[in-house]
Amino acid sequence: MKFSRVEIIMDNAKLEALLSAVGQYGISGITVYQVLGCGVQYGSKEYEGVAKTTPTLLPKQVAMVVMPTDQVKAFLKFVSEELYTGHIGDGKIFVSDIEEIMRVRTGEVGIEALEPQKH
Amino acid sequence: MANKKLGMGSVVATGVGLIVATSCLLSLGQGSAAIGTTFIISMVIACAINILFALSVSELNSLMPNITGGLPQYTLASIGPFITIVIMVGGYLACNTMVSSAECAMFGNTIHSVFPHTGIPASAYCVVLVAILMIINLNGVDIFAKVQDFVAYALIVSLLILGILGTLKIGVGHPVNQPAVLSSKFSDITGLCGLAFFLFIGCEYVIPIGDKIDNPRQKIPAGMIISLILVLTFQIFMCLGFKNYTPWAQLGKSTTPHVLYGTLLLGPVGTYWMAVVSVLAVVSSVNTVISSLAYIAAGMAKIGLLPEIFNKTNKKGAPVAGILLFGGIILVINALGLSTSSSLSFLILCGCAFWMLSYFITHINVLIFRKRLPNAPRKFKVPGGPIIPILGAAGMAWMFWNISSDPAQRIQIYIVCAVMVVILSTYAVIWIKKVMHRDLFKPFPMEEVMAMDNDLYAVYHDPKTGRLRANVSRGANVPDGSEA
Repeated sequence: MKFSRVEIIMDNAKLEALLSAVGQYGISGITVYQVLGCGVQYGSKEYEGVAKTTPTLLPKQVAMVVMPTDQVKAFLKFVSEELYTGHIGDGKIFVSDIEEIMRVRTGEVGIEALEPQKH
Repeated sequence: MANKKLGMGSVVATGVGLIVATSCLLSLGQGSAAIGTTFIISMVIACAINILFALSVSELNSLMPNITGGLPQYTLASIGPFITIVIMVGGYLACNTMVSSAECAMFGNTIHSVFPHTGIPASAYCVVLVAILMIINLNGVDIFAKVQDFVAYALIVSLLILGILGTLKIGVGHPVNQPAVLSSKFSDITGLCGLAFFLFIGCEYVIPIGDKIDNPRQKIPAGMIISLILVLTFQIFMCLGFKNYTPWAQLGKSTTPHVLYGTLLLGPVGTYWMAVVSVLAVVSSVNTVISSLAYIAAGMAKIGLLPEIFNKTNKKGAPVAGILLFGGIILVINALGLSTSSSLSFLILCGCAFWMLSYFITHINVLIFRKRLPNAPRKFKVPGGPIIPILGAAGMAWMFWNISSDPAQRIQIYIVCAVMVVILSTYAVIWIKKVMHRDLFKPFPMEEVMAMDNDLYAVYHDPKTGRLRANVSRGANVPDGSEA
């Protein structure tokens, strides 16, 4: 089974909407880190309309999940609808391939590293 | 601004409260008297076409959520400012104000018919009512929600009960032996679809309160459709009740058919009950119209289509200028007694014509955005591809063609619409070219329309032209607002 990493750069207020996805789409966990960043507007607010020449880094969150690749499309649809406000700053999503997954404690690899351990 | 989030009940109440009005009962009586219970078919057709509109406007709301102006802002982002001003600003606001004036007149007529010996003119009741509603609205959304829920549910229950009583022939009055069907000709049925359309307009008024609704992207479409079906249900019961208790000829001549029905159904109890229903209907619809039009005007002012004064709010977050203007116009029209004129029924149909045009444009907006932004996330998307928006637009065009069963009156309505379009177009061209300095038919970028909804947009930009203010261009410090 192939896996993908989905990294969602979003506004700080949107995390709760994403947490409901944990347990669905083959997602068994989520990692969130606080970041600073900007996009093509260089950090300017949508109402400013001033073209900045130097980037202004805005506080954002990145939520990272690993999931089966065949579930990515449905998950992206869910995420985009949850995050969408129509305003600049809704965020970006990056999808990349995962070569290997390992659970450190047990040495399990692949999908077993993502599933609850069987006893 | 109010902090309380409104639930589904409030959404349905808002939708029903605006759809149902005393003037609707007049139209219901006229339509039923014209062709009998066959008018139900006209109502079903009109309701179905309005449901299509509710679906389209819900998709637009999911694409541009929580904007205060609603229909005009969708149109601004899809077709540009000219159509927005002519159809949405001028036509929509004007027809709503006219129709609400007629609504008030019905209220006054109803109270006067129940208490004819007080010596108080019908218009006095109207003036007092509008003044009270203006004060309520100036106190903010919380009070609006409490008033709306109460009057809407009371109205629905009252009409439903009275309709069922009449349908089942269990009133205290004597049932009338008369044919149920006065005409089954398809041309007669379709000829009254324009009249029936008036029974279902207004569900889109939930859009301006979208930011006060919990989970609006799901509750708005469901709430609007439930509202329309509820309204259709009890209007069917009312029509059947008319058939059983109200002679068709007498019904057609009555200026207060609902009071007539109540009297013949339940005697004096029915008279007073229908009077109360009328009061509730006017309170709910006029109250919500004053508020919603004020919020729509605020949204239009934010995007530079109206003077900025419409966007000013008081300490309770109520858009003062709009409430005073629209409430004031309704109050003045009723005070002058103009609203009691029989020509208002003609003006109501003219208002309906503009309503149909704005609904038609709404369907076109959906199709344009489907083409322009096919992949933009839509939490609600009208099923069936372009079929429903196309059907909806065709339905509106068809109803516009059937705005009146009288060919001469239909021509007169078209002439009035044409004159209004010319006047509004003249204003639109001058405003857009000379004040806004924009192209007439060039859509605004959606991100600009969304940004315009932020109060800080006006700090950085002249909302009419969209250009940066001079002090911002020179690099002056401006308020940053809260973090995005």
